[in-house]
Amino acid sequence: MTYLLKRLIGAVPLLLGVSLILFGVLHLAPGGPLDVYADNPSVSPEALAQMRTAFGLDQPLPVQYVSWVTAFFQGEWGFSIRTARPVVQEIGERVGPTLLLGGTSFVVSLLIAIPLGVLSAVRKYSAVDYGITFLSFLGVSMPVFWLALMLQLVFAVQWRILPSAGMQTIGSDSLLDIARHLILPAGILAFASVAGWSRYMRSSMVDVLAQDYVRTAKAKGVPERSVVYRHALRNGLIPIITVVALDFATILSGAVITETIFAWPGMGRLFIESMNGRDYPVLMALMMVGSFALIVSNLVADLAYGAADPRIRYE
Amino acid sequence: MDSTRQAKYSAIRNAARFLSASAILLGGMALAQQRGGTLTVGLGYDIDTLNVYSTGFLGDVQAAVVEGLVAPNQRAQYVPVLATQVPTTRNGGIKLSPDGKRMTVTYKLRPNVKWSDGQPFTSADVRFTWEAVKNPKFIAESKDGTEDIESIATPDPLTVVVNYKRVAPDFASTLFTFGILPKHTLEGKDLNTDPYNEKPLGTGPFRVKEFRRGQYVVLERNPFYWRKDAKGVQLPYLDGMIFKIIPDSNTLVTQLRSGEVQMAYGVPYSQVQQLDSVPGLKVIKNNVLSWQHLDFNMKNVAAFKDPNVRKAIAYGINKTALSRALGGYPTPINTVVVPVFSYTNPNVPRYDYNPARAQQLLDAAGWKPGPDGIRVKDGQRLSFKVMAQAGRATDEDAQQVIIASLKGIGVELQPDNKSGVAFRDARYKGNYDLFYGGWITSADPTYSVFFGSKGVNNGQGYSSAKIDATLARAESTLDPEDRTAALRQFQVELMNDLPSIPITSNPSMIVVTDKLGGFVPNPTNMTNFVNTSGWFLNK
Repeated sequence: MTYLLKRLIGAVPLLLGVSLILFGVLHLAPGGPLDVYADNPSVSPEALAQMRTAFGLDQPLPVQYVSWVTAFFQGEWGFSIRTARPVVQEIGERVGPTLLLGGTSFVVSLLIAIPLGVLSAVRKYSAVDYGITFLSFLGVSMPVFWLALMLQLVFAVQWRILPSAGMQTIGSDSLLDIARHLILPAGILAFASVAGWSRYMRSSMVDVLAQDYVRTAKAKGVPERSVVYRHALRNGLIPIITVVALDFATILSGAVITETIFAWPGMGRLFIESMNGRDYPVLMALMMVGSFALIVSNLVADLAYGAADPRIRYE
Repeated sequence: MDSTRQAKYSAIRNAARFLSASAILLGGMALAQQRGGTLTVGLGYDIDTLNVYSTGFLGDVQAAVVEGLVAPNQRAQYVPVLATQVPTTRNGGIKLSPDGKRMTVTYKLRPNVKWSDGQPFTSADVRFTWEAVKNPKFIAESKDGTEDIESIATPDPLTVVVNYKRVAPDFASTLFTFGILPKHTLEGKDLNTDPYNEKPLGTGPFRVKEFRRGQYVVLERNPFYWRKDAKGVQLPYLDGMIFKIIPDSNTLVTQLRSGEVQMAYGVPYSQVQQLDSVPGLKVIKNNVLSWQHLDFNMKNVAAFKDPNVRKAIAYGINKTALSRALGGYPTPINTVVVPVFSYTNPNVPRYDYNPARAQQLLDAAGWKPGPDGIRVKDGQRLSFKVMAQAGRATDEDAQQVIIASLKGIGVELQPDNKSGVAFRDARYKGNYDLFYGGWITSADPTYSVFFGSKGVNNGQGYSSAKIDATLARAESTLDPEDRTAALRQFQVELMNDLPSIPITSNPSMIVVTDKLGGFVPNPTNMTNFVNTSGWFLNK
């Protein structure tokens, strides 16, 4: 318990440091939020000056940073420059869809990747192993946008059994409808994760299966199935926890490409929109949420380590 | 009025030249108009706000909900909407002060118009719109025109008298054309945060039923809409419209093919042909008020200070090949004023593709071919960076053709593409050698913003006293002949000086279901959705 508390308190200076770097990098990039308006010949310089004052963009950078940071840690995340809506509201609306898409693909990936990896390891150098290896290399190397286009063509244009994009049929809030819209994007996200994770799982299991205690167990006549699933699997899972936990953090940041291709109203798309418009308040909040998620999932990974292997203890 | 508009819309869909025969066509077309149905439109961007005055986009959805006093039609000419006529000096709607330095514009409003909540629309709303948009507390991008107005009088509910501080011939392309704000719901409210930005109240054919950010906007029929068709049928024909937000252009095309959306505009040229062959879809070419151009940085690139170098580059670009590389859709142009306008000048100095002439000019200017074929003068190579908007396939393809074309005359170009705000920043500050891109204008463009010495969109640092004077004349006269003469002279002078090479006029390709009737594209920045009341879906 004290460990948990210590870690969480330790995260505060870390987040402050991260915010300072992010703020600096963002403002080093060329252009500012008001440049969006420059494309419109009917925007007068007076209107731009008015906006600059209204958003506090005329203040020196250190002043802007200090006022942002004090407000942010008080829970006052400011207003989006692009939409003039509170940042909290802007992000709040996008969290749900992103968690739904990311969470679904996460669970599906885990459910497929672990058994696949184990199967591959147990049947090392068999046809099954080669088949799974081939599929994982395909999954790792295939560009998401290309796979998405192909699946859209097949399922939405040719067969017309799944929607090609969006989160729901307009006017319908039924779960079944949302589930139908989830299949393609979640499937594509899961495909890439499964490919990576199953490889880690395989090599970890191969290591464990070669350990002395596994051989001893086998020598004592413990059935193969029991050796794999009761003795080896638990130890084989430990290295995977780190990989999976770090990927878990990216769920909250949203899958930028997948969300854009499938017109999914999540955080990844909000990030792209805000980046293109240099919407500083939204960008900073999004990146802080992402950083926080990374810190938390690291913590969760460490705790999960302890749960999986009682020899690991934290003070 | 309404019937002739309807007729034009139906006829032009088939062929504009049959316009005169529209009276005959009307009979047949009118029978085909059916009431009911919902049209689903795919939009390629994430909507920021539904307030026309503060959106960073052109306002497609808003145009179906909010109306202005006047609006540009398919030939970029203003027609009355909430006003009964477009004010001009001839019809007495515009009066000049005795000293000729100020003007007064009088609008007669259409009677019996209601907001979509049933409240009457009056002159007080027009006056309120000016006051609300002008208010310094309202953070808006479109405040253009508010400062030109000194006061607005509303002698009766259907008359608006606008007193201008100066003579502003472009008055129609600003303020009241974008849309009128409802006084009765917005008075005393903070327009920056008001729910109006999510659910605007207008007098248009549709009203917002639901807006889900990042996903869609559902519009439903406005039961109080004022317009009726020739047979007295209450408009709009459609029950509703849905705007679906699909940021990825490949997905948008997929949605068209799968029937999930029935209309999309700005479809990439490379995908138009495959869509044309899809049963149930048809492609419409919209000659928008935009032109593509290659700009010289006149501030910091020494070589471009020599007009002969600029002219040689113009002669060295094969515009026909460029158009062909883009599917043949773009039209090569010789002046920055697109041919839709009556004051476009066909008799400007032309720079048709002529590599021999380009070589001669460069030879004469002292640029001799170097060992690698690129021309050299005083140890300096004729080599530049050319910027275009990264990720815009059409522009990047055109850029490649220009690079290849100029290599033939010994000029080396290297692409230096940027995206988003970085692109705009470079564009307006002039951080480029050469720049390839386009502009789209209102029906009443002000060219001094692009080419005037102090123009807000003049990033290339171009400055010419002669051009400034000519444009000042064009932009402060109400006499159409005087204005045309000044603008024609401006085009000749600009093409003589050549700070910017006009390349092509690129149409916007619209793909729609072939069931959609009554639709005509709009070439201006007022969007295709500026008059949706006459659209209908055949069953």
